[in-house]
Amino acid sequence: MVRYLIRRIGMFLPTLLASSFLIFAFIRLIPGDPAAVMLGDQATPEAVAALRAEMGLEQSLLHQYIIWLTAALTGDLGKSIFFQVPVLDLIVDGLETSVLLALFSMVWIVILGLPIGMLAAARRGSLLDQGLSGLAMFLASVPTFWVGLYLILIFAATLGWLPSSGYPSIFEDGGITNLRYLLLPSLALAAPNAALIIRLTRASMLDVYREDYVRTARAKGLHPLAVVVRHVFRNALLTVVSAIGFTVAALISEAVVTETVFSLPGIGRMVVQSILRRDYPVIQGTILMIVLLYLTINLVVDILYAWLDPRVKLR
Amino acid sequence: MIIVRPFSRFLFAATVVTAGSLASLAVQAQDTLRYATIGEPPSLDQHVVTSDLATTIAHHMFEGLYTFDANYEPQPLLASGDEVSDDGMTITIHLRDNVRFHDGQPMTSEDVVASLKRWGEHGSRGKLLFANIEDVSASGPHSVTLTFTQPFGPWKNLLAFINGGPAIYPASVAGGHDATPIPTDQYVGTGPYVFGEWRPNRYVELLRFDDYESPPGPASGYAGERVANFERLHFIPVPDPGTRVNGVRAGDYDYAESMPSDLIDELDADPAANVVLNGGPIFGLVFVNSNAGPLMDNVTLRQAIQAALNKEDALRVSIGPEKLWRANGSFLPDGNAWHSEAGTGRFSEGDAEKAAGLAADADYDGTPIKFLVSTNYAFHYDQAVVFTRQLLEAGINVQMVVVDWATLIQKRAQPEEWDLFFTHHGFVPDPILISVMNDNYPGWWATAEKQALKAAFTETNDPDARKATWADIQALIYEQVPTMKTGDVYTYNIASPALSGIEGTTLIWPHFWGVSR
Repeated sequence: MVRYLIRRIGMFLPTLLASSFLIFAFIRLIPGDPAAVMLGDQATPEAVAALRAEMGLEQSLLHQYIIWLTAALTGDLGKSIFFQVPVLDLIVDGLETSVLLALFSMVWIVILGLPIGMLAAARRGSLLDQGLSGLAMFLASVPTFWVGLYLILIFAATLGWLPSSGYPSIFEDGGITNLRYLLLPSLALAAPNAALIIRLTRASMLDVYREDYVRTARAKGLHPLAVVVRHVFRNALLTVVSAIGFTVAALISEAVVTETVFSLPGIGRMVVQSILRRDYPVIQGTILMIVLLYLTINLVVDILYAWLDPRVKLR
Repeated sequence: MIIVRPFSRFLFAATVVTAGSLASLAVQAQDTLRYATIGEPPSLDQHVVTSDLATTIAHHMFEGLYTFDANYEPQPLLASGDEVSDDGMTITIHLRDNVRFHDGQPMTSEDVVASLKRWGEHGSRGKLLFANIEDVSASGPHSVTLTFTQPFGPWKNLLAFINGGPAIYPASVAGGHDATPIPTDQYVGTGPYVFGEWRPNRYVELLRFDDYESPPGPASGYAGERVANFERLHFIPVPDPGTRVNGVRAGDYDYAESMPSDLIDELDADPAANVVLNGGPIFGLVFVNSNAGPLMDNVTLRQAIQAALNKEDALRVSIGPEKLWRANGSFLPDGNAWHSEAGTGRFSEGDAEKAAGLAADADYDGTPIKFLVSTNYAFHYDQAVVFTRQLLEAGINVQMVVVDWATLIQKRAQPEEWDLFFTHHGFVPDPILISVMNDNYPGWWATAEKQALKAAFTETNDPDARKATWADIQALIYEQVPTMKTGDVYTYNIASPALSGIEGTTLIWPHFWGVSR
């Protein structure tokens, strides 16, 4: 086990190092100059060149990379060219929004996806089943930005129940009540994923319905609700839970559109805006953090697998 | 019971906190003007940054010596008056003696000299003025003298244009920085609002400057009395136009900029939003490469391209509602003192046959012409598509090179990368500020005829002589085709009906002194 751990952690560091270099180099392969973007349309070439020199962009790529990597190893991801504030502060601020948005979306996905899927499966072939399956198809088909704009139009502009956009931190004025800013965005983000869970829950439950032990449970006179909850749903849940796990990762990348439509200060919108501005430190810092997150999760999962199944270590 | 009691206490406490929080939000909302912007500015340093969004925010806290009134005439702001010598070579500007910076220090000529020098050395617009200036010095605690190498007519307009302009900073700030934008903790100005904080991706906050001394006189345009009614201004990035519209309708924003053109009729009829037209139109420009490539010195081929274009078609396709565009060949709009019809007969001929004939006269052999265009601005791309089709119909082989804006501004600095590029220009109150007048702007138009006219244009203080020369320059632009204007576009914003003091038209950038809820 110890040898396996050493080998696995030994792979982690080179992967992170290679990723950091690829991120650093690829960003700079995109044409465009952050100094020119910053100074605007009327800037003289001399002013742009002076600002480039000030930013250290005239040094060799390798030199820039070594400086950045050395600082990154101490937790310093540099300063945003555009905002002139530490990248780490921007990431931390953005993560609050993105993580809360993902969590709220997960809640919507679960509270919409599972009961509707169960209901459709329990009433399979009925008009209700067809209606709910149609709803799932609709939610899966419509783009997130469209759902978002209509939610704003109905619940913010027309009914005035919820804010239309933005998200003040829960650590600011308003405190926990600021979470109401995330209700509509999380619903918009959850819609296509909830549709997936509805369909998956329905299909998994229908598969389990055909199992012999379900027939046995019915035959011995168990209450239909008890059959569904205790025998069908519990067994169908294994597949659904795996799918929900995958959905968590997808939510982070899908959040870009939602964060733009609802003007949320999350990391998805920040990365896209930073690419347009060629704000290299923010792009590379944020993507590196995401890579680090994914590598860490993979490492933990691999270690857990090895602990659960000793055969893994032999492979 | 053991569980319920603490829970009920928690519930009570949460209700009190929530109610308190909502009440404090409501109070804050009353005192805060919330402005939905299209994005975030690169910096608010007016000396070196020419972003319109930066000026929309910054002109509430930074002021110049002069500003424009409702007729686009320069009027004193931090200045109290000026004297011009008979030969036009020496100008003494007197300063108001009651102006204080946000840090409490009085504004003196030392601050003005340091600010003008930094702007002249590092600001793109400052170089235009300082190319003609021999010396700037303090001639008293509240007077500054500019000594010119030759008379320079547009001096006051350049000092009054705050976008990329000579904002007055304390000498300790202006003297300590070069071309790099100054950091936010040194944003110290003289305006009715003080810099509060910049929360990246969230908002820029300005706070009312309680010790502000307003310039005298009735308010007109940006001139005259300035009263800050709101305690704070929040400029909030809301990139999606649909969200900005619905945000104003929902009461989450008081003002939103850059509305989609196709919504103008709907918003005009909407009681939840007042339409505010931008008085100064923006206009598209297709620059022609005078430094390299097949168009470099082939004026006849340039004229062929110009003759092929029907600008009205392009405006209709790209903008839509006719109240938001004018197929106007004059570089300054109708009704403006600089408006001229000189040369505009060639503005929008859309004559493929004539274009083909001119191309043949130019010995055009079908060499591909690289047309650099960005997708960041929808109307750039839409108009470029229409123009490309029109040029192909005239037998001119144009190939669009479609990139994002950051790439475009890098590529256009490299003469071998393009033959035509699309950009747009904001409204300016003096033609000297139009980019084609700058010999170093990509396109690099600097013919002998231009130089002679430009010298005549700037070396006189006589307004009539300057207007006549500008008409000659405009005619020369249509003759030598260094750039092609594509028509005027009137962008518009929306304001909450609860705001009072908002006029139906903005001068150039919206301002919120004199506005209340």
